[in-house]
Amino acid sequence: MHELSIASEIYRVAREAVAQYGPGRVETVRVAVGELRAIEPDLLKFAWEALVTGSPDQSSYLDVMWCPAKQYCEQCAAEKRREPGSWLALCPDCQHPLRIEGGMELDLLQVTYLTEDEIREAGQPAQAGAEPAAEISRD
Amino acid sequence: MTEVIDVKRSILEANEAEAARLRAESTSRLVVNLISSPGSGKTTLLEATVRAMSSRFSIGVIEGDIATERDAMRLRALGVPAYQILTGGACHLDARQIRKAMQEARFPTNLDFLFIENVGNLICPTSYDLGEDFKVVVLSVTEGEDKPFKYPAIFSRASVCVLSKVDLLPHVSFDLDAVRGQVASLHPCGRLLLTSARTGEGIAEWCSMLEGALLQKRFVTR
Repeated sequence: MHELSIASEIYRVAREAVAQYGPGRVETVRVAVGELRAIEPDLLKFAWEALVTGSPDQSSYLDVMWCPAKQYCEQCAAEKRREPGSWLALCPDCQHPLRIEGGMELDLLQVTYLTEDEIREAGQPAQAGAEPAAEISRD
Repeated sequence: MTEVIDVKRSILEANEAEAARLRAESTSRLVVNLISSPGSGKTTLLEATVRAMSSRFSIGVIEGDIATERDAMRLRALGVPAYQILTGGACHLDARQIRKAMQEARFPTNLDFLFIENVGNLICPTSYDLGEDFKVVVLSVTEGEDKPFKYPAIFSRASVCVLSKVDLLPHVSFDLDAVRGQVASLHPCGRLLLTSARTGEGIAEWCSMLEGALLQKRFVTR
């Protein structure tokens, strides 16, 4: 269960991104997670909720864009379709060895946030926003 | 109105930065990150490696375990410096722990090989770069031949796959060709080595692979 470590890194990077523009409250964080990263999206979202609970960003949402790896045949010059979660040993059409493409994504793509003014306008008490969530650095 | 920031940043950038610093500092030694499930024989493989190579090379070992110093003690008994990282429950090592280990272990400055034995786990250690030259995945024949496709992340990332306990092949149902096919499919340029630390089979080939990689690194680095 290393998803909590990954979630806390996502939170740290997302907070840094917002902090560049001043205080604010994180609303959504969009990340790309590749199939070959050994990270389970549902566990990552669960870890995110646990991480932000009690912080100013506790209503924030982690949006995980799942990026499957592709198996490509050089000889057919085509991607070969496979069932999700299964792998082809060789090209089903020409028996040529396949090449794997993608699946290694692990990036923060986008952060949306409310500024202090926007929080005030919304009628909610403005929070410093820069307070980090409870520090959970390891699993 | 919600403000939108488009960022394209690696989530593990802090770990990757530390790993890059460690890599930059290890130009004269070969650093190998050993990953496998618990009980596949990583420590036993290291013991055999040390026995075969320690008279000619300076070797250091970093052991990662949730609990106990047992693995480090096994290697110290063979006369090599071994530093034990106790993760307390965490399922993987990260680059910051390797930095701390390097500061505290006081390895000889002329180290030729640094072996990092990761926490026994085929999943979590895959994500964390430790500044190694390459990852080695160890798979014992008793674990079954379906493992590469079941754990594609590590088998697609490790440039060497060591098949361990091959002396048991006559006694277990293990389809060697299926494993060859799966490993080749996930890592077309990867190497598959058949070893038995008990009988010594394949240990010379494993050691000469390591020696070759060290020479190549020193030659390329200079």
